[in-house]
Amino acid sequence: MPTATVTTLRPWRRIALPAIALVSAVALAGCQAAEPDEASGDPVEGGTLVYASGDAEPTCLDPHVGGNYPQALLAGQFLESLVSRDTSGEIIPWLAESWEPSDDGLAWEFTLREGVTFTDGTHFDAEAVAVNVEHLKDPATQSSTGYLAMGKVDRVEAVDDLTARFVLTAPDSALLESLSQPWTAMQSPAGIARGMEENCEAPVGTGPFIVGEWVKQDHVTLVRNDDYSSPPADAGHDGPPYLDAIEWRFVPDAASRYAALQGGQVDVIDNPQPDTIAAAEGDDVLTWIDAPRPGAANRIELNSGQAPFDDERVREAFIRAVEVNDGIDALFFGTAERSYSALSSAEQLAYSDEALFEPDLDAANALLDEAGWTDRDADGIRMKDGVRLTLRFPVSTNQSIPAEQSLFEQVQATAKQAGFDVAIELLDLSSWYSALFAHEYEIVSAPYTKVGPDVLRILYHSDSITPAPSGYFANLAQLDDPAVDALLTEAASTSEEAARADLYRQAQERILGGYYLLPLYDQQNSFLLDARVEGARTMPTVSTPTFYDAWLAG
Amino acid sequence: MLAAGAVFVMWAVATLTFFAIRLIPGDPAEAILGGPGSQASQEALDQVRRDYGLDQPLLVQYLAMLARLVTGDLGTSYALRTPVADLLGGQLGGTMLLAVLALLVAWILALGLSLWSTGRARVAAAVGEGIELTAAALPHFWLAAVLIAIFSTGLDWFPPIATGTPAGLVLPVATLAIPLAGFLAQVMRESLLDALQQPFVVSARARGENTTGLRLRHTIRHASLPAISLSGWALGWLLSGAVVVETIFAMPGLGRTLLQAVTLRDVPVVTGVVLLVALVYVVMTVVTDVASRLADPRLRQEGAR
Repeated sequence: MPTATVTTLRPWRRIALPAIALVSAVALAGCQAAEPDEASGDPVEGGTLVYASGDAEPTCLDPHVGGNYPQALLAGQFLESLVSRDTSGEIIPWLAESWEPSDDGLAWEFTLREGVTFTDGTHFDAEAVAVNVEHLKDPATQSSTGYLAMGKVDRVEAVDDLTARFVLTAPDSALLESLSQPWTAMQSPAGIARGMEENCEAPVGTGPFIVGEWVKQDHVTLVRNDDYSSPPADAGHDGPPYLDAIEWRFVPDAASRYAALQGGQVDVIDNPQPDTIAAAEGDDVLTWIDAPRPGAANRIELNSGQAPFDDERVREAFIRAVEVNDGIDALFFGTAERSYSALSSAEQLAYSDEALFEPDLDAANALLDEAGWTDRDADGIRMKDGVRLTLRFPVSTNQSIPAEQSLFEQVQATAKQAGFDVAIELLDLSSWYSALFAHEYEIVSAPYTKVGPDVLRILYHSDSITPAPSGYFANLAQLDDPAVDALLTEAASTSEEAARADLYRQAQERILGGYYLLPLYDQQNSFLLDARVEGARTMPTVSTPTFYDAWLAG
Repeated sequence: MLAAGAVFVMWAVATLTFFAIRLIPGDPAEAILGGPGSQASQEALDQVRRDYGLDQPLLVQYLAMLARLVTGDLGTSYALRTPVADLLGGQLGGTMLLAVLALLVAWILALGLSLWSTGRARVAAAVGEGIELTAAALPHFWLAAVLIAIFSTGLDWFPPIATGTPAGLVLPVATLAIPLAGFLAQVMRESLLDALQQPFVVSARARGENTTGLRLRHTIRHASLPAISLSGWALGWLLSGAVVVETIFAMPGLGRTLLQAVTLRDVPVVTGVVLLVALVYVVMTVVTDVASRLADPRLRQEGAR
């Protein structure tokens, strides 16, 4: 399945929006051109596109530092990666023209594109790749995401000007996917050498736009790179971008963003709320891009590391008791499709099993009886040995949109019918992480964005239960199954495609079958565009928008 | 005496902020390393803790902060890696402009409303009082949403995002000014009613002063006295309202700076903003004191003796 579906909203589509989205997705699956809209004419040069972002304003524009999604959104406009991914999930050339792993998988040689220059005039060469990887691995860079992605990379050697050899400590079948992400994008070594403070203000890349000025809490101006020559293999045209500039504004309030889009003050907004997307259907002049993020689907993880979910019967009972489909339809106004997979539908290797998640209250009650949760207190909550069947559910108000928070209330209500007491606690991000680090949760929902199925290893390998120095651990289900570990480890070092796919399928069967998680929907990632914006699309890597092929009509 | 009081207030504010932000969960070292939930390596964490002195005992950190503050150094932002003074200096102007404009507009609205409605027929008084109560009770986030719906989406008169143009300031200023005008008008009405029952009103009437002249020349000073002393409080209240208004209208300013800093556990920035607001309070207390003396001759005479 493709990562991005582009749907122009018309009133008649209101009835069957998800179906239409699916149809357009299928129609687009083989289409690598940037502009699927039937109404477009010839591209027009010039103009400034105004983008209103609801994501947090980055504290540093260099995505090597830290490495979060807001940084990726912006960096995608001025930095480029060695490789990209097309809508069918294939890795395609970008700054690297070709690549070849050694037989033992411990060395990869990348042949770089010739004649690419950074916007400070310096040349992009193998030495620059080496400097970037070194930068990512240097503790002083304070990298988190990129550092993890380069975990198996020991060093990069410049074989010659245009040949970079990655030397690995272990075979890594996810290397190309890791390198396709904006968090490992290539920057000018001269830019990096300026020091963190200056590089954070205006990183220097090879991209179609250049960071102009950054007025904190207001906007970043991105100006056209007139010498641009290195679009990814699936881009719609060659040469410099059509737009003169992008004005990237930070507008934290969702209602204000939408009002500004309606009033023509801005051309593109991100993070529209589901009701807004639905309301936009009545508006002929808006285009909706639905680009689920790659990696994991949004899901509720069941903490199997402690009671009561260390008992598989109790986990299954919870999943059978909870009813979310009606809630998703109503609260997301038909803009989110129910998932039955641990992985995003953007991942080719996602494996779904709807039958595992069929609600069945009777079965849930029987399972809980069997597991010994037979007593009930005055509120109808089940008890066992004097302990209530309470599930602490910390919810991050930064990560869960209001619709999702309401959905969790429905989870709470439906679980109660089987005798679960779901205790939702709304927390800010720091407090939420603190609760997780202290294992003060039975259920939790945490998004995770990464290109490729290797995200399964991060989320469900038992190694990920061991906290990082900061306290962070990704295996929130605390899934500790040697069979799953073995499958995921083998998959991560298997490059042969069919074998790799089979290993990931087996791993997913085991993970889903153990009732460790309740998949909800893809990690929602939508953009609304004024209809005069033509040619915009999202990158099939981490679903960030790109305006290289975009132009303003009329 | 005043200076000592001001220093005490600033010290208390700095101390409370320092310890309060450590009582809420979250590790400042992570703020430095890309925000909460960072997967930073041990080396990176160690280095950051060393560089920022976070490995020191809390008391040592606290004393180090006080020592810095005494020399006027607000420190460096954890998240943005720029000096806090520069950061606040860049954001202060926008927020002060917003707050001062809102205060001005609130004053004009409140004066107009109370002069018009006080001591008139019952209907006018009731209507005036109703408007004041309603206005004072309006939450900023709700009012902002309604104003955007009417004046941006509906009438297309003013933009919903303030991009530095005068037109962009209209809705944010109105959002802050309307509830404040309700508050101010309420206290003005009371003292105005009081003044209208004073003997000098009767004598002014006897000299042939008409109603409008009476209000403008004789009772307006009485009406404004409590409102003047409230204005110091009001400015602080506006600064807290700026958190909401700046977020909704996407304006740069201290409110958003504070919000982001608290989210990221950026201790130096939080401390800096809170100190700055405390300073504004202290300065405004002095200013309203002087303004009250100007408006009330009785205070001037007492001061002269």
